[in-house]
Amino acid sequence: MQEPSGDIRGERTDAVESRPDGSESRRGFLEHAAGVTMAGGLTAGYGMLVSHAVRFLYPSETDPGSWQFVCTLDDLQPGDSMPFTTPAGAKLVVARQAEDPAQDDAFIALSSVCPHLGCKVHWEANNERFFCPCHNGAFDAQGNPIAGPPKAAGQSLTRFPLRIEGNLLMVWVPGTGISEVISETNA
Amino acid sequence: MSRLNAWIQERIPVHGDQLRELTNEPVPNHLKRWWFALGGTPAYLFVVQVVTGILLAFYYQSSPSAAWESVRYITEDARYGWYIRSLHKWAATLMIASVILHQMRVYFTAAYRRPRELNWVIGMCLLMCTLLTGFTGYSLVFEQLSYWGATVAANISDAVPVIGSFGKQMLLAGDTYNERTLPRFYILHAAVLPTTIILLMAVHITFIRLHGVTELHFEDESPDEPDHFNFFPDHLLTELTIGLVLMILLSALATVLPATMGPRANPLVTPEVIKPEWFFYVSFRWLKLFSLSVAVISTGFIIAAMFVWPWIDRLLIRLTRNEDASVYVGIVATFLLIGLTVWEAVVTH
Ligand code: HEM
Ligand code: FES
Repeated sequence: MQEPSGDIRGERTDAVESRPDGSESRRGFLEHAAGVTMAGGLTAGYGMLVSHAVRFLYPSETDPGSWQFVCTLDDLQPGDSMPFTTPAGAKLVVARQAEDPAQDDAFIALSSVCPHLGCKVHWEANNERFFCPCHNGAFDAQGNPIAGPPKAAGQSLTRFPLRIEGNLLMVWVPGTGISEVISETNA
Repeated sequence: MSRLNAWIQERIPVHGDQLRELTNEPVPNHLKRWWFALGGTPAYLFVVQVVTGILLAFYYQSSPSAAWESVRYITEDARYGWYIRSLHKWAATLMIASVILHQMRVYFTAAYRRPRELNWVIGMCLLMCTLLTGFTGYSLVFEQLSYWGATVAANISDAVPVIGSFGKQMLLAGDTYNERTLPRFYILHAAVLPTTIILLMAVHITFIRLHGVTELHFEDESPDEPDHFNFFPDHLLTELTIGLVLMILLSALATVLPATMGPRANPLVTPEVIKPEWFFYVSFRWLKLFSLSVAVISTGFIIAAMFVWPWIDRLLIRLTRNEDASVYVGIVATFLLIGLTVWEAVVTH
Protein backbone atom coordinates (compact mmCIF):
# COMPACT_ATOMS: atom_id res chain seq x y z
CA MET A 1 0.00 0.00 0.00
CA GLN A 2 1.32 3.44 -0.94
CA GLU A 3 0.92 6.49 1.22
CA PRO A 4 -1.05 9.09 -0.74
CA SER A 5 1.31 11.90 -1.64
CA GLY A 6 0.76 15.11 0.20
CA ASP A 7 0.30 17.38 -2.77
CA ILE A 8 -2.92 15.65 -3.81
CA ARG A 9 -4.52 15.23 -0.42
CA GLY A 10 -3.08 18.36 1.21
CA GLU A 11 -0.86 18.42 4.27
CA ARG A 12 -2.36 17.37 7.54
CA THR A 13 -2.11 20.19 10.05
CA ASP A 14 -2.77 19.69 13.68
CA ALA A 15 -4.05 23.19 14.38
CA VAL A 16 -5.05 22.54 17.96
CA GLU A 17 -1.56 21.74 19.14
CA SER A 18 -0.04 24.86 17.68
CA ARG A 19 -2.20 27.41 19.50
CA PRO A 20 -0.28 28.95 22.37
CA ASP A 21 -2.85 31.55 23.46
CA GLY A 22 -5.44 29.63 25.47
CA SER A 23 -7.95 29.28 22.65
CA GLU A 24 -6.84 25.69 22.71
CA SER A 25 -9.02 24.76 25.64
CA ARG A 26 -12.01 26.70 24.27
CA ARG A 27 -11.56 24.99 20.96
CA GLY A 28 -11.10 21.66 22.69
CA PHE A 29 -14.35 22.22 24.52
CA LEU A 30 -16.20 23.14 21.33
CA GLU A 31 -14.88 20.11 19.53
CA HIS A 32 -15.86 17.96 22.45
CA ALA A 33 -19.35 19.46 22.58
CA ALA A 34 -19.75 18.99 18.83
CA GLY A 35 -18.68 15.39 19.14
CA VAL A 36 -21.12 14.71 21.96
CA THR A 37 -23.95 16.42 20.10
CA MET A 38 -23.19 14.44 16.99
CA ALA A 39 -23.10 11.14 18.87
CA GLY A 40 -26.28 12.07 20.73
CA GLY A 41 -28.07 12.97 17.53
CA LEU A 42 -27.02 9.76 15.83
CA THR A 43 -28.03 7.66 18.83
CA ALA A 44 -31.39 9.39 19.11
CA GLY A 45 -32.04 9.10 15.38
CA TYR A 46 -31.07 5.48 14.91
CA GLY A 47 -32.50 4.62 18.30
CA MET A 48 -35.86 5.93 17.14
CA LEU A 49 -35.60 3.78 14.02
CA VAL A 50 -34.82 0.67 16.10
CA SER A 51 -37.71 1.39 18.44
CA HIS A 52 -40.09 1.83 15.52
CA ALA A 53 -38.81 -1.40 14.00
CA VAL A 54 -39.38 -3.36 17.20
CA ARG A 55 -42.89 -1.94 17.53
CA PHE A 56 -43.53 -2.77 13.88
CA LEU A 57 -42.48 -6.37 14.47
CA TYR A 58 -44.42 -6.73 17.71
CA PRO A 59 -47.91 -7.99 16.82
CA SER A 60 -50.60 -5.32 16.74
CA GLU A 61 -53.90 -5.75 18.60
CA THR A 62 -56.12 -8.29 16.91
CA ASP A 63 -59.71 -9.33 17.46
CA PRO A 64 -59.91 -9.84 21.26
CA GLY A 65 -62.81 -12.30 21.22
CA SER A 66 -66.58 -12.45 21.67
CA TRP A 67 -69.48 -14.23 23.41
CA GLN A 68 -70.77 -17.16 21.38
CA PHE A 69 -74.02 -19.07 21.66
CA VAL A 70 -73.54 -22.69 22.77
CA CYS A 71 -77.02 -24.15 23.34
CA THR A 72 -80.20 -23.63 25.28
CA LEU A 73 -80.15 -24.75 28.92
CA ASP A 74 -82.56 -27.61 28.17
CA ASP A 75 -80.22 -29.03 25.53
CA LEU A 76 -77.73 -29.96 28.21
CA GLN A 77 -79.04 -32.12 31.07
CA PRO A 78 -77.09 -32.60 34.32
CA GLY A 79 -74.29 -35.13 33.78
CA ASP A 80 -74.19 -34.52 30.02
CA SER A 81 -71.41 -32.93 28.01
CA MET A 82 -71.09 -31.71 24.46
CA PRO A 83 -68.24 -30.68 22.15
CA PHE A 84 -68.14 -27.14 20.88
CA THR A 85 -65.92 -25.70 18.14
CA THR A 86 -65.36 -21.96 17.99
CA PRO A 87 -65.32 -20.12 14.66
CA ALA A 88 -61.53 -19.95 14.94
CA GLY A 89 -61.37 -23.71 15.37
CA ALA A 90 -60.67 -24.00 19.10
CA LYS A 91 -62.30 -27.14 20.48
CA LEU A 92 -64.05 -27.06 23.85
CA VAL A 93 -66.01 -29.47 25.96
CA VAL A 94 -69.05 -27.99 27.69
CA ALA A 95 -70.59 -30.00 30.54
CA ARG A 96 -73.46 -29.54 32.99
CA GLN A 97 -72.70 -30.62 36.54
CA ALA A 98 -75.80 -29.48 38.47
CA GLU A 99 -79.54 -29.14 38.06
CA ASP A 100 -79.78 -25.56 39.30
CA PRO A 101 -78.30 -23.25 36.65
CA ALA A 102 -77.76 -20.55 39.27
CA GLN A 103 -75.42 -22.76 41.26
CA ASP A 104 -71.68 -22.08 40.93
CA ASP A 105 -70.06 -24.40 38.40
CA ALA A 106 -73.40 -25.72 37.19
CA PHE A 107 -71.84 -25.53 33.74
CA ILE A 108 -68.17 -25.79 32.83
CA ALA A 109 -66.43 -25.28 29.50
CA LEU A 110 -62.97 -26.80 29.21
CA SER A 111 -60.43 -25.94 26.56
CA SER A 112 -58.81 -28.77 24.67
CA VAL A 113 -55.52 -26.86 24.63
CA CYS A 114 -53.02 -28.41 27.02
CA PRO A 115 -51.87 -25.81 29.59
CA HIS A 116 -48.34 -27.23 29.45
CA LEU A 117 -47.24 -26.27 25.96
CA GLY A 118 -50.34 -25.91 23.88
CA CYS A 119 -50.91 -29.26 22.18
CA LYS A 120 -54.47 -30.55 21.72
CA VAL A 121 -55.72 -32.99 24.32
CA HIS A 122 -58.24 -35.67 23.42
CA TRP A 123 -60.72 -37.63 25.52
CA GLU A 124 -59.74 -41.25 26.14
CA ALA A 125 -63.05 -42.92 26.95
CA ASN A 126 -61.49 -46.16 28.22
CA ASN A 127 -59.23 -44.31 30.68
CA GLU A 128 -61.80 -41.61 31.44
CA ARG A 129 -59.22 -38.92 31.02
CA PHE A 130 -58.02 -36.23 28.63
CA PHE A 131 -54.62 -37.21 27.24
CA CYS A 132 -51.97 -34.93 25.73
CA PRO A 133 -49.57 -36.77 23.40
CA CYS A 134 -46.84 -34.11 23.47
CA HIS A 135 -45.35 -34.86 26.88
CA ASN A 136 -47.77 -37.45 28.25
CA GLY A 137 -49.96 -35.05 30.21
CA ALA A 138 -53.36 -36.27 31.51
CA PHE A 139 -56.43 -34.63 33.07
CA ASP A 140 -59.60 -35.91 34.71
CA ALA A 141 -63.08 -35.07 33.47
CA GLN A 142 -63.06 -31.81 35.43
CA GLY A 143 -59.80 -30.77 33.77
CA ASN A 144 -57.64 -31.33 36.84
CA PRO A 145 -54.13 -32.61 36.05
CA ILE A 146 -53.49 -36.23 36.97
CA ALA A 147 -50.20 -37.06 35.19
CA GLY A 148 -47.17 -35.68 33.36
CA PRO A 149 -45.77 -32.15 33.35
CA PRO A 150 -49.20 -30.54 33.93
CA LYS A 151 -49.48 -32.57 37.14
CA ALA A 152 -45.97 -31.57 38.19
CA ALA A 153 -46.78 -27.91 37.64
CA GLY A 154 -50.38 -28.11 38.90
CA GLN A 155 -51.90 -26.78 35.66
CA SER A 156 -55.53 -27.57 34.88
CA LEU A 157 -57.22 -27.38 31.50
CA THR A 158 -58.29 -23.79 30.92
CA ARG A 159 -61.91 -23.05 31.71
CA PHE A 160 -63.70 -20.76 29.35
CA PRO A 161 -65.99 -18.15 30.91
CA LEU A 162 -69.68 -19.02 30.58
CA ARG A 163 -72.69 -16.78 30.90
CA ILE A 164 -76.40 -17.53 31.05
CA GLU A 165 -78.66 -15.13 29.23
CA GLY A 166 -82.24 -16.09 29.91
CA ASN A 167 -82.42 -19.63 28.59
CA LEU A 168 -79.24 -19.42 26.53
CA LEU A 169 -75.78 -20.63 27.44
CA MET A 170 -73.01 -18.36 26.07
CA VAL A 171 -69.25 -18.90 26.07
CA TRP A 172 -66.46 -16.33 25.73
CA VAL A 173 -64.07 -17.32 22.93
CA PRO A 174 -60.82 -15.60 22.01
CA GLY A 175 -60.15 -14.05 18.58
CA THR A 176 -59.33 -15.64 15.25
CA GLY A 177 -56.60 -18.22 14.78
CA ILE A 178 -54.99 -19.89 11.84
CA SER A 179 -57.50 -22.68 11.26
CA GLU A 180 -59.90 -20.45 9.32
CA VAL A 181 -57.18 -19.66 6.81
CA ILE A 182 -56.15 -23.25 6.48
CA SER A 183 -59.54 -24.90 6.43
CA GLU A 184 -60.37 -23.04 3.21
CA THR A 185 -57.69 -25.02 1.43
CA ASN A 186 -57.57 -28.13 3.61
CA ALA A 187 -59.92 -30.20 1.53
CA MET B 1 0.49 -12.15 -21.76
CA SER B 2 2.78 -9.86 -19.87
CA ARG B 3 0.80 -6.90 -21.19
CA LEU B 4 -2.38 -8.46 -19.86
CA ASN B 5 -0.62 -9.06 -16.56
CA ALA B 6 0.54 -5.49 -16.43
CA TRP B 7 -2.97 -4.29 -17.28
CA ILE B 8 -4.45 -6.30 -14.42
CA GLN B 9 -1.67 -5.32 -12.02
CA GLU B 10 -2.35 -1.67 -12.69
CA ARG B 11 -6.08 -1.99 -12.04
CA ILE B 12 -5.93 -4.47 -9.18
CA PRO B 13 -2.69 -3.51 -7.48
CA VAL B 14 -2.32 -6.56 -5.29
CA HIS B 15 0.84 -8.59 -5.52
CA GLY B 16 1.05 -12.37 -5.45
CA ASP B 17 3.46 -12.03 -2.55
CA GLN B 18 0.98 -9.97 -0.59
CA LEU B 19 -1.75 -12.54 -1.20
CA ARG B 20 0.55 -15.32 -0.14
CA GLU B 21 1.44 -13.48 3.03
CA LEU B 22 -2.22 -12.87 3.77
CA THR B 23 -3.23 -16.51 3.40
CA ASN B 24 -0.09 -18.26 4.46
CA GLU B 25 -0.59 -18.87 8.10
CA PRO B 26 1.64 -21.73 9.21
CA VAL B 27 -0.65 -24.47 10.45
CA PRO B 28 0.38 -26.92 13.18
CA ASN B 29 0.73 -30.51 12.03
CA HIS B 30 -2.18 -31.89 14.01
CA LEU B 31 -4.60 -30.16 11.65
CA LYS B 32 -3.73 -32.86 9.12
CA ARG B 33 -6.03 -35.09 11.16
CA TRP B 34 -9.66 -34.63 10.17
CA TRP B 35 -10.77 -34.55 13.78
CA PHE B 36 -8.86 -31.30 14.28
CA ALA B 37 -9.91 -29.67 11.04
CA LEU B 38 -13.60 -30.13 11.85
CA GLY B 39 -14.27 -26.38 12.00
CA GLY B 40 -14.05 -26.16 8.23
CA THR B 41 -16.84 -28.71 7.78
CA PRO B 42 -19.76 -26.56 9.00
CA ALA B 43 -18.32 -23.66 6.97
CA TYR B 44 -18.37 -25.80 3.83
CA LEU B 45 -21.84 -27.14 4.56
CA PHE B 46 -23.06 -23.61 5.16
CA VAL B 47 -22.13 -22.75 1.58
CA VAL B 48 -24.07 -25.81 0.41
CA GLN B 49 -27.07 -24.54 2.41
CA VAL B 50 -26.88 -21.09 0.84
CA VAL B 51 -26.76 -22.50 -2.69
CA THR B 52 -29.49 -25.13 -2.26
CA GLY B 53 -31.56 -22.75 -0.13
CA ILE B 54 -31.58 -20.09 -2.85
CA LEU B 55 -32.68 -22.74 -5.34
CA LEU B 56 -35.54 -23.88 -3.09
CA ALA B 57 -36.63 -20.25 -2.57
CA PHE B 58 -37.50 -20.05 -6.27
CA TYR B 59 -40.50 -22.31 -5.59
CA TYR B 60 -41.22 -22.06 -1.88
CA GLN B 61 -44.25 -20.02 -0.78
CA SER B 62 -44.47 -18.86 2.81
CA SER B 63 -48.22 -18.40 3.22
CA PRO B 64 -49.85 -21.06 5.42
CA SER B 65 -52.42 -21.92 2.75
CA ALA B 66 -49.73 -22.53 0.11
CA ALA B 67 -46.60 -23.60 2.00
CA TRP B 68 -47.14 -27.34 2.28
CA GLU B 69 -48.32 -27.59 -1.33
CA SER B 70 -45.28 -25.68 -2.59
CA VAL B 71 -42.96 -28.08 -0.76
CA ARG B 72 -44.91 -31.00 -2.19
CA TYR B 73 -44.46 -29.48 -5.64
CA ILE B 74 -40.70 -29.20 -5.11
CA THR B 75 -40.49 -32.77 -3.82
CA GLU B 76 -42.72 -34.50 -6.35
CA ASP B 77 -43.13 -32.36 -9.47
CA ALA B 78 -40.21 -30.01 -9.98
CA ARG B 79 -37.37 -31.60 -11.93
CA TYR B 80 -34.59 -32.61 -9.47
CA GLY B 81 -36.60 -30.90 -6.75
CA TRP B 82 -36.32 -33.97 -4.52
CA TYR B 83 -32.54 -33.88 -4.95
CA ILE B 84 -32.14 -30.19 -4.10
CA ARG B 85 -34.49 -30.46 -1.12
CA SER B 86 -32.78 -33.61 0.16
CA LEU B 87 -29.35 -32.01 -0.16
CA HIS B 88 -30.60 -29.06 1.88
CA LYS B 89 -32.02 -31.34 4.53
CA TRP B 90 -29.01 -33.62 4.83
CA ALA B 91 -26.50 -30.77 4.77
CA ALA B 92 -28.46 -29.18 7.63
CA THR B 93 -28.24 -32.40 9.61
CA LEU B 94 -24.52 -32.80 8.94
CA MET B 95 -23.87 -29.13 9.65
CA ILE B 96 -25.42 -29.34 13.08
CA ALA B 97 -23.63 -32.61 13.79
CA SER B 98 -20.29 -31.18 12.71
CA VAL B 99 -20.72 -27.98 14.73
CA ILE B 100 -21.33 -30.14 17.79
CA LEU B 101 -18.31 -32.36 17.02
CA HIS B 102 -16.15 -29.29 16.37
CA GLN B 103 -17.22 -27.82 19.67
CA MET B 104 -16.44 -31.09 21.44
CA ARG B 105 -12.93 -31.18 20.00
CA VAL B 106 -12.37 -27.55 21.05
CA TYR B 107 -13.71 -28.43 24.48
CA PHE B 108 -11.73 -31.60 25.10
CA THR B 109 -8.47 -30.07 23.86
CA ALA B 110 -9.18 -27.00 26.08
CA ALA B 111 -8.54 -24.79 23.05
CA TYR B 112 -10.91 -22.19 24.54
CA ARG B 113 -8.45 -21.26 27.26
CA ARG B 114 -6.67 -17.90 27.49
CA PRO B 115 -6.41 -15.97 25.17
CA ARG B 116 -9.15 -17.62 23.08
CA GLU B 117 -12.12 -17.18 25.45
CA LEU B 118 -13.91 -14.70 23.23
CA ASN B 119 -13.75 -17.00 20.24
CA TRP B 120 -15.47 -19.68 22.31
CA VAL B 121 -18.26 -17.19 23.02
CA ILE B 122 -18.52 -16.38 19.29
CA GLY B 123 -18.64 -20.14 18.67
CA MET B 124 -21.53 -20.49 21.12
CA CYS B 125 -23.39 -17.75 19.22
CA LEU B 126 -22.76 -19.75 16.04
CA LEU B 127 -24.15 -22.88 17.70
CA MET B 128 -27.30 -21.03 18.79
CA CYS B 129 -27.81 -19.51 15.33
CA THR B 130 -27.28 -22.89 13.68
CA LEU B 131 -29.86 -24.58 15.93
CA LEU B 132 -32.34 -21.75 15.38
CA THR B 133 -31.86 -22.00 11.64
CA GLY B 134 -32.56 -25.72 11.83
CA PHE B 135 -35.70 -25.11 13.86
CA THR B 136 -37.12 -22.36 11.63
CA GLY B 137 -36.28 -24.37 8.51
CA TYR B 138 -38.20 -27.40 9.77
CA SER B 139 -41.21 -25.16 10.46
CA LEU B 140 -41.32 -24.02 6.84
CA VAL B 141 -42.47 -27.41 5.52
CA PHE B 142 -45.74 -26.83 7.41
CA GLU B 143 -46.41 -30.47 8.04
CA GLN B 144 -48.05 -31.62 11.27
CA LEU B 145 -44.81 -31.91 13.19
CA SER B 146 -43.60 -28.52 11.93
CA TYR B 147 -46.75 -26.88 13.20
CA TRP B 148 -46.90 -28.57 16.59
CA GLY B 149 -43.15 -28.26 17.08
CA ALA B 150 -43.40 -24.51 16.55
CA THR B 151 -46.40 -24.26 18.88
CA VAL B 152 -44.57 -26.13 21.62
CA ALA B 153 -41.39 -24.08 21.11
CA ALA B 154 -43.25 -20.77 21.28
CA ASN B 155 -44.94 -21.81 24.50
CA ILE B 156 -41.60 -22.84 25.95
CA SER B 157 -40.44 -19.33 25.21
CA ASP B 158 -43.53 -18.06 27.00
CA ALA B 159 -42.37 -19.81 30.15
CA VAL B 160 -39.02 -18.03 30.22
CA PRO B 161 -39.09 -15.47 33.03
CA VAL B 162 -39.28 -11.74 32.19
CA ILE B 163 -38.60 -11.74 28.43
CA GLY B 164 -40.46 -14.94 27.57
CA SER B 165 -43.87 -13.63 26.58
CA PHE B 166 -42.26 -10.86 24.52
CA GLY B 167 -40.21 -13.54 22.77
CA LYS B 168 -43.29 -15.64 22.06
CA GLN B 169 -45.16 -12.66 20.60
CA MET B 170 -42.19 -11.75 18.43
CA LEU B 171 -41.82 -15.34 17.21
CA LEU B 172 -45.48 -16.05 16.46
CA ALA B 173 -46.68 -12.52 15.65
CA GLY B 174 -49.56 -13.11 18.06
CA ASP B 175 -50.69 -15.23 21.00
CA THR B 176 -50.99 -18.35 18.91
CA TYR B 177 -49.79 -19.64 15.56
CA ASN B 178 -51.57 -17.48 12.97
CA GLU B 179 -51.34 -16.56 9.29
CA ARG B 180 -48.57 -14.03 9.98
CA THR B 181 -46.37 -16.61 11.72
CA LEU B 182 -44.94 -18.56 8.81
CA PRO B 183 -43.54 -15.50 6.94
CA ARG B 184 -41.63 -14.67 10.11
CA PHE B 185 -40.03 -18.10 10.23
CA TYR B 186 -39.17 -17.76 6.56
CA ILE B 187 -37.42 -14.40 6.79
CA LEU B 188 -35.56 -15.53 9.91
CA HIS B 189 -34.51 -18.76 8.24
CA ALA B 190 -33.55 -17.39 4.83
CA ALA B 191 -32.23 -13.91 5.61
CA VAL B 192 -31.72 -12.86 9.22
CA LEU B 193 -30.01 -15.97 10.60
CA PRO B 194 -27.77 -16.72 7.60
CA THR B 195 -26.53 -13.12 7.53
CA THR B 196 -25.82 -13.30 11.25
CA ILE B 197 -23.97 -16.59 10.76
CA ILE B 198 -21.82 -15.08 8.00
CA LEU B 199 -20.87 -12.11 10.19
CA LEU B 200 -20.12 -14.36 13.16
CA MET B 201 -18.02 -16.71 11.01
CA ALA B 202 -16.03 -13.73 9.75
CA VAL B 203 -15.22 -12.66 13.31
CA HIS B 204 -14.58 -16.30 14.32
CA ILE B 205 -12.06 -16.81 11.54
CA THR B 206 -10.44 -13.40 12.10
CA PHE B 207 -9.84 -14.40 15.71
CA ILE B 208 -8.33 -17.70 14.58
CA ARG B 209 -5.95 -15.82 12.28
CA LEU B 210 -5.01 -13.41 15.04
CA HIS B 211 -4.27 -16.08 17.66
CA GLY B 212 -3.39 -19.00 15.41
CA VAL B 213 -4.90 -22.35 16.34
CA THR B 214 -3.88 -23.90 19.64
CA GLU B 215 -0.59 -25.80 19.42
CA LEU B 216 -0.90 -29.39 20.45
CA HIS B 217 1.89 -31.92 20.55
CA PHE B 218 1.68 -35.65 20.21
CA GLU B 219 4.09 -38.37 21.19
CA ASP B 220 4.21 -39.94 17.75
CA GLU B 221 5.57 -36.76 16.18
CA SER B 222 9.30 -36.92 15.62
CA PRO B 223 11.11 -33.81 16.84
CA ASP B 224 13.20 -33.35 13.67
CA GLU B 225 10.24 -33.04 11.31
CA PRO B 226 8.96 -29.50 10.86
CA ASP B 227 5.97 -29.06 13.17
CA HIS B 228 4.07 -26.69 10.89
CA PHE B 229 2.91 -26.77 7.29
CA ASN B 230 1.56 -24.06 5.04
CA PHE B 231 -2.05 -23.03 4.93
CA PHE B 232 -1.72 -22.46 1.20
CA PRO B 233 -1.80 -24.77 -0.61
CA ASP B 234 -1.44 -27.65 1.86
CA HIS B 235 -4.27 -26.98 4.28
CA LEU B 236 -6.51 -25.71 1.52
CA LEU B 237 -6.06 -29.07 -0.21
CA THR B 238 -7.06 -30.87 2.99
CA GLU B 239 -10.21 -28.77 3.17
CA LEU B 240 -10.97 -29.32 -0.53
CA THR B 241 -10.65 -33.06 -0.02
CA ILE B 242 -13.03 -32.91 2.92
CA GLY B 243 -15.40 -30.85 0.75
CA LEU B 244 -15.38 -33.45 -2.03
CA VAL B 245 -15.96 -36.32 0.36
CA LEU B 246 -18.84 -34.39 1.92
CA MET B 247 -20.42 -33.72 -1.46
CA ILE B 248 -20.32 -37.43 -2.31
CA LEU B 249 -21.72 -38.31 1.10
CA LEU B 250 -24.51 -35.74 0.73
CA SER B 251 -25.43 -36.97 -2.73
CA ALA B 252 -25.53 -40.56 -1.54
CA LEU B 253 -27.68 -39.71 1.48
CA ALA B 254 -30.02 -37.57 -0.61
CA THR B 255 -30.49 -40.40 -3.09
CA VAL B 256 -30.84 -43.28 -0.66
CA LEU B 257 -32.82 -41.44 2.03
CA PRO B 258 -34.57 -38.54 0.28
CA ALA B 259 -36.62 -35.98 2.18
CA THR B 260 -40.30 -36.93 2.36
CA MET B 261 -43.61 -35.18 3.11
CA GLY B 262 -45.55 -35.65 6.32
CA PRO B 263 -49.27 -34.86 6.58
CA ARG B 264 -50.21 -31.20 6.24
CA ALA B 265 -50.45 -29.09 9.41
CA ASN B 266 -53.80 -29.39 11.16
CA PRO B 267 -54.28 -27.00 14.08
CA LEU B 268 -57.27 -29.02 15.33
CA VAL B 269 -55.48 -32.32 15.87
CA THR B 270 -52.22 -32.97 17.63
CA PRO B 271 -50.65 -36.12 16.15
CA GLU B 272 -50.48 -39.12 18.47
CA VAL B 273 -46.70 -39.25 18.29
CA ILE B 274 -44.97 -35.91 18.29
CA LYS B 275 -41.22 -35.42 18.04
CA PRO B 276 -39.00 -32.49 17.17
CA GLU B 277 -35.92 -32.82 14.94
CA TRP B 278 -33.23 -35.10 16.38
CA PHE B 279 -31.05 -32.24 17.62
CA PHE B 280 -33.79 -31.16 20.01
CA TYR B 281 -34.39 -34.68 21.40
CA VAL B 282 -32.23 -33.82 24.41
CA SER B 283 -34.30 -30.82 25.42
CA PHE B 284 -37.55 -32.61 24.56
CA ARG B 285 -36.70 -35.46 26.92
CA TRP B 286 -35.59 -32.94 29.54
CA LEU B 287 -39.02 -31.26 29.26
CA LYS B 288 -40.80 -34.51 29.98
CA LEU B 289 -38.71 -35.15 33.08
CA PHE B 290 -39.48 -31.93 34.91
CA SER B 291 -42.19 -29.36 35.31
CA LEU B 292 -41.99 -26.59 32.75
CA SER B 293 -40.43 -23.91 34.93
CA VAL B 294 -37.77 -26.27 36.25
CA ALA B 295 -36.97 -27.47 32.71
CA VAL B 296 -36.79 -23.96 31.28
CA ILE B 297 -34.73 -22.46 34.07
CA SER B 298 -32.28 -25.38 34.16
CA THR B 299 -31.89 -25.26 30.37
CA GLY B 300 -31.22 -21.52 30.51
CA PHE B 301 -28.69 -22.11 33.25
CA ILE B 302 -26.88 -24.81 31.25
CA ILE B 303 -26.69 -22.64 28.13
CA ALA B 304 -25.43 -19.68 30.15
CA ALA B 305 -22.79 -21.89 31.73
CA MET B 306 -21.71 -23.06 28.26
CA PHE B 307 -21.30 -19.44 27.13
CA VAL B 308 -19.03 -18.53 30.04
CA TRP B 309 -17.33 -21.92 30.23
CA PRO B 310 -13.76 -20.56 29.76
CA TRP B 311 -14.12 -18.61 32.99
CA ILE B 312 -15.90 -21.39 34.87
CA ASP B 313 -13.03 -23.63 33.76
CA ARG B 314 -10.49 -21.26 35.37
CA LEU B 315 -12.45 -21.32 38.59
CA LEU B 316 -12.65 -25.10 38.50
CA ILE B 317 -8.91 -25.43 38.04
CA ARG B 318 -8.31 -23.14 40.99
CA LEU B 319 -10.77 -25.03 43.18
CA THR B 320 -9.75 -28.58 42.26
CA ARG B 321 -6.07 -27.90 41.48
CA ASN B 322 -6.56 -30.23 38.55
CA GLU B 323 -5.87 -29.01 35.01
CA ASP B 324 -8.20 -31.67 33.61
CA ALA B 325 -11.28 -31.06 35.73
CA SER B 326 -13.17 -29.86 32.67
CA VAL B 327 -12.55 -33.19 30.95
CA TYR B 328 -14.57 -35.03 33.61
CA VAL B 329 -17.40 -32.51 33.34
CA GLY B 330 -17.25 -32.95 29.58
CA ILE B 331 -17.46 -36.73 29.77
CA VAL B 332 -20.53 -36.57 32.04
CA ALA B 333 -22.15 -33.97 29.75
CA THR B 334 -21.45 -36.06 26.64
CA PHE B 335 -22.99 -39.18 28.19
CA LEU B 336 -26.02 -37.16 29.27
CA LEU B 337 -26.39 -35.69 25.78
CA ILE B 338 -26.16 -39.07 24.08
CA GLY B 339 -28.24 -40.83 26.73
CA LEU B 340 -31.17 -38.42 26.60
CA THR B 341 -31.08 -38.28 22.80
CA VAL B 342 -31.16 -42.07 22.47
CA TRP B 343 -33.87 -42.36 25.12
CA GLU B 344 -36.10 -39.93 23.23
CA ALA B 345 -35.33 -41.69 19.96
CA VAL B 346 -36.37 -45.17 21.08
CA VAL B 347 -39.65 -44.48 22.93
CA THR B 348 -42.87 -43.27 21.32
CA HIS B 349 -44.02 -41.11 24.22
C1 HEM C 1 -21.02 -22.37 11.96
C2 HEM C 1 -20.30 -22.94 12.84
C3 HEM C 1 -18.78 -22.90 12.97
C4 HEM C 1 -17.81 -22.73 12.00
C5 HEM C 1 -18.03 -22.54 10.52
C6 HEM C 1 -16.54 -22.78 12.66
C7 HEM C 1 -15.31 -22.67 12.02
C8 HEM C 1 -14.07 -22.83 12.64
C9 HEM C 1 -12.81 -23.06 11.99
C10 HEM C 1 -12.57 -23.17 10.49
C11 HEM C 1 -11.85 -23.19 12.96
C12 HEM C 1 -10.37 -23.52 12.74
C13 HEM C 1 -9.89 -24.73 13.53
C14 HEM C 1 -10.57 -26.03 13.23
O1 HEM C 1 -10.85 -26.32 12.06
O2 HEM C 1 -10.81 -26.80 14.18
C15 HEM C 1 -12.51 -22.96 14.22
C16 HEM C 1 -11.88 -22.92 15.47
C17 HEM C 1 -12.50 -22.64 16.70
N1 HEM C 1 -13.87 -22.74 16.96
FE1 HEM C 1 -15.30 -22.84 15.48
N2 HEM C 1 -16.74 -22.95 14.01
C18 HEM C 1 -18.09 -23.03 14.23
C19 HEM C 1 -18.71 -23.22 15.46
C20 HEM C 1 -18.05 -23.19 16.71
C21 HEM C 1 -18.66 -23.50 17.98
C22 HEM C 1 -20.09 -23.96 18.17
C23 HEM C 1 -17.68 -23.31 18.95
C24 HEM C 1 -17.76 -23.50 20.44
C25 HEM C 1 -18.66 -22.97 21.22
C26 HEM C 1 -16.48 -22.88 18.28
C27 HEM C 1 -15.30 -22.53 18.91
C28 HEM C 1 -14.08 -22.45 18.29
C29 HEM C 1 -12.81 -22.11 18.92
C30 HEM C 1 -12.60 -21.70 20.39
C31 HEM C 1 -11.81 -22.24 17.92
C32 HEM C 1 -10.31 -22.07 18.09
C33 HEM C 1 -9.74 -23.47 18.25
C34 HEM C 1 -8.25 -23.53 18.31
O3 HEM C 1 -7.62 -22.48 18.50
O4 HEM C 1 -7.71 -24.67 18.17
N3 HEM C 1 -16.74 -22.86 16.93
N4 HEM C 1 -13.86 -22.77 14.01
S1 FES D 1 -48.11 -29.91 25.80
FE1 FES D 1 -49.40 -31.26 26.86
S2 FES D 1 -48.04 -32.33 28.14
FE2 FES D 1 -46.75 -30.89 27.13
